[in-house]
Amino acid sequence: MASALARRVGGSGAAALWRAARGFASVGSDIVSSAPGVSLQKARSWDEGVATKFSATPLKDIFYGKKVVIFGLPGAYTGVCSQTHVPSYKNNIDKLKAKGIDSVICVSVNDPYVLNGWAEKLEAKDAIEFYGDFDGSFHKSLDLGIDLSAALLGRRSHRWSAFVDNGRIKAFNVEKAPSEFNVSSAEVILDQI
Amino acid sequence: MASIGVGDTLPDGQLGWFDENDQLQQVSVHVLAAGKKVILFGVPGAFTPTCSNQHVPGFITQAEQLKAKGVDEILLISVNDPFVMKAWANTYPENKHVKFLADGVGTYTKALGLELDLTEKGLGVRSRRFALLADNLKVTVANIEEGGQFTISGAEEILKAL
Repeated sequence: MASALARRVGGSGAAALWRAARGFASVGSDIVSSAPGVSLQKARSWDEGVATKFSATPLKDIFYGKKVVIFGLPGAYTGVCSQTHVPSYKNNIDKLKAKGIDSVICVSVNDPYVLNGWAEKLEAKDAIEFYGDFDGSFHKSLDLGIDLSAALLGRRSHRWSAFVDNGRIKAFNVEKAPSEFNVSSAEVILDQI
Repeated sequence: MASIGVGDTLPDGQLGWFDENDQLQQVSVHVLAAGKKVILFGVPGAFTPTCSNQHVPGFITQAEQLKAKGVDEILLISVNDPFVMKAWANTYPENKHVKFLADGVGTYTKALGLELDLTEKGLGVRSRRFALLADNLKVTVANIEEGGQFTISGAEEILKAL
């Protein structure tokens, strides 16, 4: 058990156990109750925003009754996020769907218009649903917030991934540092589904 | 704080920028603007329609005329991070003169007294739409829109004032 956790989050056994039990969300907990009152903004163009009255999507609509793979990253248009993280999921979408996954979601602390522009640029909108945690409250509730002011990004999120089944977190992977890309890839989560 | 106006001195502040060599820099407004005629214009958000389709293109296409009238720098700021500003700038390959600067967490916008709460639209606290002309850091023209509309803050108005 400890070694499996260590393999998932990297680092020593003790550090891995601490990471796995971090904050308010961990394997076994309900992601919706971990972030009460939080909604996300679906990536969209401004016109779509006007048409939908800028409505937000509550977490329960995203997670309940579905098998979801969700991954979070520090920022749209940044290096690792654009070049490796999103492509990892885009390229494995068929395998994920074959394992019964209903939605693959990418979330980051960006507004929904920037996210929309980015998702279109990466040609990933067909495979992946992009949601903006524009005020960071989703990531804060899950204890996944990180201050990246040094990189001029402000408060953002760690790089992470999770497999959530009907709202219950079944697998939860967080990189040691947001610039790394090891445990949060599509390949790793495919093994955990 | 009250919004910046004619006669005020441009406050100093740090803005993020990917320069010509694609290096991430923090630039000081005073260093960019001291001793020069600069236009500083601001928009609520990168990749939003009025900003992208009207406000920014106006300054890009009028840049040569503005420079011919003595403007040294045309600076665009928005409360976005520098990666987003760089990506947005890349959607204007014809742009030669407008510098896309990032006021990542809105500190400079607050210093100008021009913040605008667009939380309900999913944007958080951003900047009002505006255009300023400053001569050696002294504001000589301050065109600030009330909401997100685009009436007085374009390149045409600044050209007329020069």
